[in-house]
Amino acid sequence: MSPTTQTLLVDGHVVELRPGDTILNAANRADVSIPTLCHDPRLKPVGACRTCLIEVEGARRLLPACATPATEGMKVNTESERVDRHRKTLLALYLTDHDGTQEHGQGGAPNQLASMAREVGAPTDWGQLPSKRRGSIKDDNPYILFDPDQCIACARCTRYCDEVESVTAITLAGRGSETTISTADGISLLDSTCEMCGGCIDTCPTGAMTERKAAEVQAPPESDLTKVRSTCNFCGVGCQLDLNVDPAANDGRGLVVKVTSPPVGTTSNDGNLCVKGRFAYEFINHEDRLTTPLIRDADGVLQPASWEAALAATSQGLAGVMERHGKNALAFISSSRCTVEENYLVQKLARQGYGTNNVHQCSAT
Amino acid sequence: MPLINGQRPGTIYLVSSPNDPRSTVPDRLASAGGLSEGVARVLSRDTGLHEADIYGVGSFYHLLARPEARVRVCGGLSCQLAGSREVLSACKAAGLPTEEISCLAACDRAPAVLRDRRTLPSVTVEDATRSAGKVEDLCSTDSETAWLGTIGPETQSMGTHALNLLGEPDWSAEAFKAANKMGPAALFDLLEESGLQGRGGAGFPAHIKWRAVAGQAVQKRYIVLNADEGEPGTFKDREVLMRRPDLVLEGLAIAAAATGASEVYLYLRGEFEVPSGVIAQAIAKLEETNRYPDITFHMHAGQGAYICGEETALLEALEGKRGMPRLKPPFPVEVGLWGKPTLVHNVETIAYIPGIVLKGGAWFKNLGRTEPGTKLYCISGHVQNPGTYELPLGISLDELVETAGGYVGTLKAFSPGGASSGFLPASERGRALDFKGLGSLGSMLGSAGVVVLNDTVNMRWAAEEQLRFFEEESCGQCAPCRIGTHYLHAAVKGQEKSLGLAHVGDVAWQMNEGSICGLGQAAALPLTSALKYFPEDFS
Amino acid sequence: MTNSIQEIRDADFLLVIGSNTSEAHPIIAMEMKRAVHRGATLVVVDPRAVWMTTISEHHLQIKPGSDVWLLNAMAHVIISEGLVADEFVTQQTENFESVKAAVKDYTPEAAEAFTGIAPDLLRKVARQYASTPKAGIYYTLGITEHSHGTDNVYALANLVLMTGHLGQPSSGMNPLRGQNNVQGANDAGATPVFYPGYQMVDDPKVQRHFEEAWDCELDPEPGLNLNEMMQTMGESIKGIFVMGEDIVLSEPNAHHLEAALAGVEFIAIQEPFPNETMRFANVVFPSAVFAEKDGVFTNSERRVQLVRQAVAPPGEARQDWRILSDLAKAVGLDWNYESPAEIYAEMAALTPQFKGISHERLGEIQADGMTGIQWPCPTSDHPGTVYLHGDGIMRGKGLFQAVTYRPPMEVPDKDYGLFLSTGRTLYHYNAATQTRRESGPVAKQPEAFVEIHPRDAKERNIQPGDQVRISTRRGHIDVIAIVSRQVRPGCIWTPLHFAEARANLLTNDEGDPVTGTAEFKVCAAEVTRLGEGKDLASIFRGNYYSTAGPSQ
Repeated sequence: MSPTTQTLLVDGHVVELRPGDTILNAANRADVSIPTLCHDPRLKPVGACRTCLIEVEGARRLLPACATPATEGMKVNTESERVDRHRKTLLALYLTDHDGTQEHGQGGAPNQLASMAREVGAPTDWGQLPSKRRGSIKDDNPYILFDPDQCIACARCTRYCDEVESVTAITLAGRGSETTISTADGISLLDSTCEMCGGCIDTCPTGAMTERKAAEVQAPPESDLTKVRSTCNFCGVGCQLDLNVDPAANDGRGLVVKVTSPPVGTTSNDGNLCVKGRFAYEFINHEDRLTTPLIRDADGVLQPASWEAALAATSQGLAGVMERHGKNALAFISSSRCTVEENYLVQKLARQGYGTNNVHQCSAT
Repeated sequence: MPLINGQRPGTIYLVSSPNDPRSTVPDRLASAGGLSEGVARVLSRDTGLHEADIYGVGSFYHLLARPEARVRVCGGLSCQLAGSREVLSACKAAGLPTEEISCLAACDRAPAVLRDRRTLPSVTVEDATRSAGKVEDLCSTDSETAWLGTIGPETQSMGTHALNLLGEPDWSAEAFKAANKMGPAALFDLLEESGLQGRGGAGFPAHIKWRAVAGQAVQKRYIVLNADEGEPGTFKDREVLMRRPDLVLEGLAIAAAATGASEVYLYLRGEFEVPSGVIAQAIAKLEETNRYPDITFHMHAGQGAYICGEETALLEALEGKRGMPRLKPPFPVEVGLWGKPTLVHNVETIAYIPGIVLKGGAWFKNLGRTEPGTKLYCISGHVQNPGTYELPLGISLDELVETAGGYVGTLKAFSPGGASSGFLPASERGRALDFKGLGSLGSMLGSAGVVVLNDTVNMRWAAEEQLRFFEEESCGQCAPCRIGTHYLHAAVKGQEKSLGLAHVGDVAWQMNEGSICGLGQAAALPLTSALKYFPEDFS
Repeated sequence: MTNSIQEIRDADFLLVIGSNTSEAHPIIAMEMKRAVHRGATLVVVDPRAVWMTTISEHHLQIKPGSDVWLLNAMAHVIISEGLVADEFVTQQTENFESVKAAVKDYTPEAAEAFTGIAPDLLRKVARQYASTPKAGIYYTLGITEHSHGTDNVYALANLVLMTGHLGQPSSGMNPLRGQNNVQGANDAGATPVFYPGYQMVDDPKVQRHFEEAWDCELDPEPGLNLNEMMQTMGESIKGIFVMGEDIVLSEPNAHHLEAALAGVEFIAIQEPFPNETMRFANVVFPSAVFAEKDGVFTNSERRVQLVRQAVAPPGEARQDWRILSDLAKAVGLDWNYESPAEIYAEMAALTPQFKGISHERLGEIQADGMTGIQWPCPTSDHPGTVYLHGDGIMRGKGLFQAVTYRPPMEVPDKDYGLFLSTGRTLYHYNAATQTRRESGPVAKQPEAFVEIHPRDAKERNIQPGDQVRISTRRGHIDVIAIVSRQVRPGCIWTPLHFAEARANLLTNDEGDPVTGTAEFKVCAAEVTRLGEGKDLASIFRGNYYSTAGPSQ
């Protein structure tokens, strides 16, 4: 550390100050963990959930770590009797307004409120309030489900919809204990400006915004599913996504129950996905899938065949054309939908196997 | 511009500005008669804003969110003591589209009813019945246009009383000229000498805010008048605005000139249709005579949200958003309206300015007893002559009530500064009603809306009513307040079996530590103070 | 892309041209939105008022096919107003003089007649672009799918070079790749002119390199590109092997192609779903979809990323690489691949740019905390390359290429009075074999439509929701009319996703002379009313491209 470096103290750790730092950022770099619910690095901080309040020497009130700029010489305490009491009582209060026994939302997403309350040892005996939040009953969209009972009104979903996706289909509506999430007039998301990117689901900390399909099939909790990190197969952005697989389903073939995005900041899509990446996976298990090789018979009808027969027919078919018309009467059309390895093999097959450079795919950009 | 469902999708306004159509949304919603189905879409088409945003704003403000209700009966403590619940039932029975509403600032003329945007004082069950269900025919037998109450003491004059509400308006702008002659630096010194504290509730020294705004590097600054005081028991703004609009506008003009602002925004409660008319007339008159050349006054109406009396929520509301308080710091003096340095003052505070400029800082300071200046005390509830009384800052409850004609019945409890100040027992009747002394008791002077309760009142009931108010008026942004007010109200009401009063202390502690703004920080006080001083009412 | 996706959020000026980014590349659009929220200036150039224009500072709604006029006129402004990055041009480029001469007469005033853009606006945008250090250009098929697509790209590159907007973060030239693995398919050598890693087929040294590696004799002559294959289909092309592409739906002038396929003697395809091309196939292999296979995709920013198998393919379906291996063995080649990792290793060993990349490395979290590696990556300890040309332009000197305007191959006339353009929507993808099997896209966008300007609709007696026929010299399709001011008067737009209303029955297969890419974006068409309207709001729910227009 150079002598001109500016620093602050977080729980006694010296942390180097970086431009634009909040206390939360600085603490994270010092491996000091501060609980948050309404924070998402993609969004402007609002300090509304109050879980990240910490002590700063010289400040009368507790301050939100997510929204308070870190400054030179600041002394931050994230562990003290006061902060501890704050966390316990705040989370106990949250639990009275939410069913704290719900470890996950209807779609199976983990409920961070429940786990956080457990971690800080929040009292669970303060009683239970009837929720005054209302959901939109007219919503017939197939993908996104809002469960008002699980909602903590942290506004991550509405802020995401506004600041990241910029379609502002949903808003905080009502006020006070009735504050909820709604579209204008409670219309279906299908009739709103929503583009069904599902970012609201991704950013929701409690599973109140959740995958309707997973909820409808009563999918197991995410913790019981196998997450397989892969690359989206639609456009050229190459979003990373996690295929959440129920390995036992589908007679042991496995079933993709839902798609989630990897954590913010770890991949180039930064936790974002679009409607296709997040929701268009029904095709994988669609009944229209081809499941056996087909060979056209003498009557011109495609008939199921064995792999051996189909491979032999192709080998002969291509060889026949080459014999009759020469190698450059063959054309190999590869696919930008397939993997690099598969494309490599197609061109190698054309060149090594048939001696032709007639190999291409649809690739205007 | 392209359209979604025939509406324009929203444009991203990076830094909102006065030109941002967003700031017109509350007014447009009000003109449309509130948030009926389809209104958000129409306004979206007109403004280019997202319909969900418009809906979110409309659903926040009570006067917009439930357009079907056209008669709203005040549910404040003083109105209830005067029989507002009977009036409410009578209105409903008469077939009027009626609901209850938070304090209408007419505690001295209780019970009050809001008919559309017009506040009717002293409404009776007979008035309601006579309407026969026709909203337009609901009238107060009492005079409704004036909506003025008792002012005391009757002996006041400009020499002994800084505001002199009984005096004639003075349009000479002498103080404005004097302040300009003096220059900002001398004026700030004068304010410091006067010891003027903000009358909105916090009692923050005024000169510090003025200097802070004047000292900002950003050249564009704003002055904002907070005339959205909704603290139950408080109605002094109405009297000042209607009786002395000259003082308010001159005070604002002096503030603008001294801090380098040219635009002044006046944010008046939506229920202040009558005071609003008085101010609008006064502004028109000033503009005609060009009294304050270089200064423009803009009037804005609130749409029914107590929280917008909190200065940063008010700024959000002025920008046309949901009135949710901002995180502080930064304070409005640095980052205020549309991100610019902004001086926000309450009506009473700003009205003192011309007097201080003309008569001097020492004069003002010496008018007070325990703290500088005179103070407008609103008194209502169980007293003979409810009204607005200008008295030395630091008088006791007994002295105040004596001026107001004495108690009705035997004093049991009082709120010194509206609902937020909780309740104090009769034993505190001799204590100075000032900022510091009440603060040390865990209560506060707040807006000095003093409500007196006699021994016919059950304090559990009183606490429940105050908590109902806070739950209604919580903005819902932060969890401690949103859930805490709901919890405490349900707990004191005793309807939810699983809730007891055992955790009230912890909930109150959390609300005080964890809430973003003063509403949540204070909202538990009515219950905790009632439990502390009147445990017998809970057994 | 010369830049990376995450650099977009830090750009101060974004010129988006011929890209409906929020629909075709939603996640890149999110980064652009973040930039705009931060205060960046967004300028959209498109004949259609795509969603991005709702957050743009300027929308240059040019006439279709007039890109060269617009871009050359911008170059004219930059040169004539002295905004050229002289030092960069002198040190890092060549042939600037030819461009200078070529754009001399492309004044903004002269351009207006072709582009429809007011000269002052064009000047303003040119100045903003030239004078903002972090200025990026983003384009896609609206630039390339023209008979003058190469000219468009050159004209853009000229702007980039003369302003020195290259080799820095958030400032460069960024084609956004349409398919998940367009970059990777080209990288892997599935092109008639390149072996893997863009090594020229007609370079004898390269040829020897691959002949040794593969132990065979290779053809030194470049092969046919896709468009050429399609145009000679059934004539000189007599046998085709197709992996994962529905050529009958995706290729232009489909009627012609279908007739030609009848003259092809043998067709084998490998596909996960039945498709249009299957009607002509002799053999069909059932293949796996992405969730059922291992391998890598390479995205627009050259990032190589793993695809991992999550579930098993249904029935007897096999992964494409396995099918190809099996076929190679059947034809007598000595292929014994056990895994895609092994295949990748073989390719990487043969190509300098990928030499440092392996499946093993791709499975690890990289030094920057991210996954995936951006090529070039020459060694196993190289971190990959975030933006290109950082150490000076890769080919040595940036080459200016003077271009002059050529009109599209087909323009409206008295028989076909409208410009037709085609493209993608947010809710579907290519031939929609996947997305039309998904509930959300079907709920939002169940059928094909055409956008037509109210003025043109009125002339043709077309009401919103009417059933209409779009005709060109090559064919016709029947769709629903959306009367919309999103399109210019005289222009119509239709999506390419719908098998029952195949836009490529209409499009022109005349291609760009260099790339062979067909002119999907412009041809002459006519629209006629067929019948009674439907309620648009209930068919296309919450549709951004709506029927109602503001009173103008």
